[in-house]
Amino acid sequence: MTTTTAETAPAPRKQGESLWSKAARKLLRDRWGMTSLVIVLVYLGIALGVWAGLWGQDWNTLTPTINAEASAEHWFGTNRNGQDIFERSIFSTKTAFEIGLVVAVLSTVLGAIMGAISGFFAGRWPDEIILWLKGVLDSIPFYLFVAAVAFALQGYAFSMHVAMVATFWTTTARLVRAEVIRLKGFEFVEAAHALGVPEWQIISRHIIPNTTHILLVQATITFVSAIKSEVILSFLGLGVKNGVSWGLMISESTNEVTTGFFNNFLAASVFLFVLVMAFNMFSDALQDAFDPKKT
Amino acid sequence: MLNRNPRTLGAVAASIAIALLAGCGGGGQPQTNADGTPLKVYRHSMDGAPVNLDPVQSAVVYSNFVVLNAYDTLYSYKYLARPYELKPNLAKGMPEVSEDGLTYTIHLKEGSGFIDDPAFPDGKGREVVAQDFVYSIKRHFDPKNRSQGAWLWQGRIVGLDQWKDDGADYSQDVEGLKALDDHSIQIKLVKPYPQLTYTLAMGFSGIVAQEAVEKYGRELSIHPVGSGPYKVERFSTAKAVLVPNPNFRQEPVDLAAEGFDPAVHGDYGLDAIDGKAPPFVDRLEIDFITETASRWASFTSDKEVQFTSVPVEQIDSVLGSKQPVTVSDAWAKRYHWKSGVEAGFIYTYFNMDKPYFGYNDDPAIEAKNKALRCAMRDAFSWAERNERFYSGIGTVFPGIIAPVVPEFDPSLSEASVTQHMEKAKQQLRDAGWTPETLPELTYGYSSAVFYRQVFEQFRGFMNQLGFPLAKIQGRTFATFGDFNKAIKTSQLDIGGLGWGLDYPDAENTLQLFYGPNRTPGSNNPNYANPEFDALFEQASTMQPGPERTELYRKMNEMVIDDCVAITGMSRNKVYLWHKNVVGVPDREILGGFWLKYVDVKTGGSEE
Repeated sequence: MTTTTAETAPAPRKQGESLWSKAARKLLRDRWGMTSLVIVLVYLGIALGVWAGLWGQDWNTLTPTINAEASAEHWFGTNRNGQDIFERSIFSTKTAFEIGLVVAVLSTVLGAIMGAISGFFAGRWPDEIILWLKGVLDSIPFYLFVAAVAFALQGYAFSMHVAMVATFWTTTARLVRAEVIRLKGFEFVEAAHALGVPEWQIISRHIIPNTTHILLVQATITFVSAIKSEVILSFLGLGVKNGVSWGLMISESTNEVTTGFFNNFLAASVFLFVLVMAFNMFSDALQDAFDPKKT
Repeated sequence: MLNRNPRTLGAVAASIAIALLAGCGGGGQPQTNADGTPLKVYRHSMDGAPVNLDPVQSAVVYSNFVVLNAYDTLYSYKYLARPYELKPNLAKGMPEVSEDGLTYTIHLKEGSGFIDDPAFPDGKGREVVAQDFVYSIKRHFDPKNRSQGAWLWQGRIVGLDQWKDDGADYSQDVEGLKALDDHSIQIKLVKPYPQLTYTLAMGFSGIVAQEAVEKYGRELSIHPVGSGPYKVERFSTAKAVLVPNPNFRQEPVDLAAEGFDPAVHGDYGLDAIDGKAPPFVDRLEIDFITETASRWASFTSDKEVQFTSVPVEQIDSVLGSKQPVTVSDAWAKRYHWKSGVEAGFIYTYFNMDKPYFGYNDDPAIEAKNKALRCAMRDAFSWAERNERFYSGIGTVFPGIIAPVVPEFDPSLSEASVTQHMEKAKQQLRDAGWTPETLPELTYGYSSAVFYRQVFEQFRGFMNQLGFPLAKIQGRTFATFGDFNKAIKTSQLDIGGLGWGLDYPDAENTLQLFYGPNRTPGSNNPNYANPEFDALFEQASTMQPGPERTELYRKMNEMVIDDCVAITGMSRNKVYLWHKNVVGVPDREILGGFWLKYVDVKTGGSEE
């Protein structure tokens, strides 16, 4: 007889309850998870407002003030060009979501496809090639690689996105590969084989949909990583070209802080910190919600 | 197998720590001379780094700072006299010029030697002779060297261009460039070239030894072998370390002849060097620190670099007043200081090669383009640029003849450097431009916070004029070299540039708009005005005087009227240096000469 502790035993699933409905139930019960989700949604709302042209449109407008302190007119003050730091912070939320979404979606899709192929053909040549490719990419220090790609493609608006997608997909692929290796021994896959379903259909219709919970969690993690990477790349001058971002604002502040002007630095850092923190907590909550071992 | 004994690990850790601490303590450099006297070390700082120390590549001020101290030139500038005055350096006297202005004869001083180097027999540096100068100038015309300074003498010296076309064979003589004997040089010109002597003071004319070129080849770019006051002991893009060249000629300083003015220079302790032969320091270190915050921290720590320019962010805390520029008492008590308008200017160029923006085969479109450029110029505020990025102490002036040169016209209308937003908008409307029809323009800049903010300001002005934000696209470049390459290949529409004068003559800035100098030459806007070119050619053979000045001013007005650039402003720089340093720093007109005279007081505390 095997005994299990409450911690490791799979939580009892209500009769007829799917993985998704159970995860939703667990997530709704997670107070920190829901709080962080609300924060993320507030940021999303800010980003959508910028997209829709409702606010944050004056981020490049020059005003006569230089490095002004916070006031009713300029909530976070102004920078050297007299540009409103609050407007720039708000607009940067859109930049962050734009990059986060593009990179998260593309690297998750790429990771899912590569991971599924790799796992399905485990031990065969497609797997060998993909594992080799992942090994090569993973052996290069992350920021060095991202900076190199961004530098090589500079001048192109999406160079940073390409650089991040090129590196972020490997983690997703590794997780998906492991899950696919587990799934392909299941009866429904064997049944599909027995019925003569082509392999590509088995992968796309039967296996990948069963890795969605991993992809969802991984996408949130990638989203946060992309935002953080953008900040670092923009700080290094390899990121955003024609807009503004928190990374650029922090970069701008490097000379200002030596003179005691911290507005740019604080505004960008706080906006970034709250979003990253909230997204990380939400990602953890999502992971817990999908974990069958946790109640 | 790894020994995990804690004592062994501790010993290893301690050894590493000691090694690291030793590394921090000056890289193992001795702190005293052989006779036990304290080593005199001067640590200079610069905001950029050279990548090549070969005189044929010394196109930027950072290179010149090292090149002019490692290599000798025939002429130099007086240490303290302003406006700048040439003086003989390796040459015995000023050139003997024939009446027609076409033949220059120059005699060299005897006894000046190259540094000791394995390139020479027995490693002993030999005497510099006239043939070395001839060889050094020929190198510029050797295609293998891809010289950046050949333009100075191109089409000017009899037979030199032909020598290049004939295969650049160094054994072949050039009619217009001869060593008459070991200590006499003769230069024959195709046509009068009044600026020739200035070019012989530039880093480009630094004298190299053929033996060194043959031994080191391309490595000469990091291993200079010259006959200047210093020998480069170590060089990287972070730091250059120079030590005195023992074979350098002994020439006592004559402060009065160098332009010493007690009222201006009296507080700098220069009398200590009068009558003594430079160089005076035992080691000269130049730290290349691009980040202003790091440079400032290093300087104000009082333990590292001894010189800095004051970053814009610190100007308000350092200055006591802006008009005139003075340093506050607290800073003046702590450091020596100096300020002055640069010998050069900054401007924003428009690329006339672009048919949607510059020249066009259709005269109607060309006129419309001109209206657009003029509107953009009138929408630009130099006052704002000066205030936000140069602390409001720069000197804004119309055109391209900077205030530092004698041909500057203080009475010229300032309309072209004054913002007229409504007038600019009206010009656009009159020419039929609308936000929809305005062209999408690419503005290039080096990837640094400062230049990004400058770009954002420019875009802000254009946005106020009526340009949608998306129609002014920024394009960044990792280095100035990449940015420059994009300009030289005409990839950009607009770009912000600076120009430091090579010599104190407005010809040096007017040539930036001379048609034949179009990119990849120095005419970055690709301006092509036959009338301008004709005047330039007419003036190029004229000696300085009212007639030539008149022509210069006419050319200046053409550039303004054609709206080829948004120009200009000469920056006013404030320099600080430690009180134990004896010297008057300068980085204008090539810069670097003054380091030959720098000295450091040793012993006791700083004043």
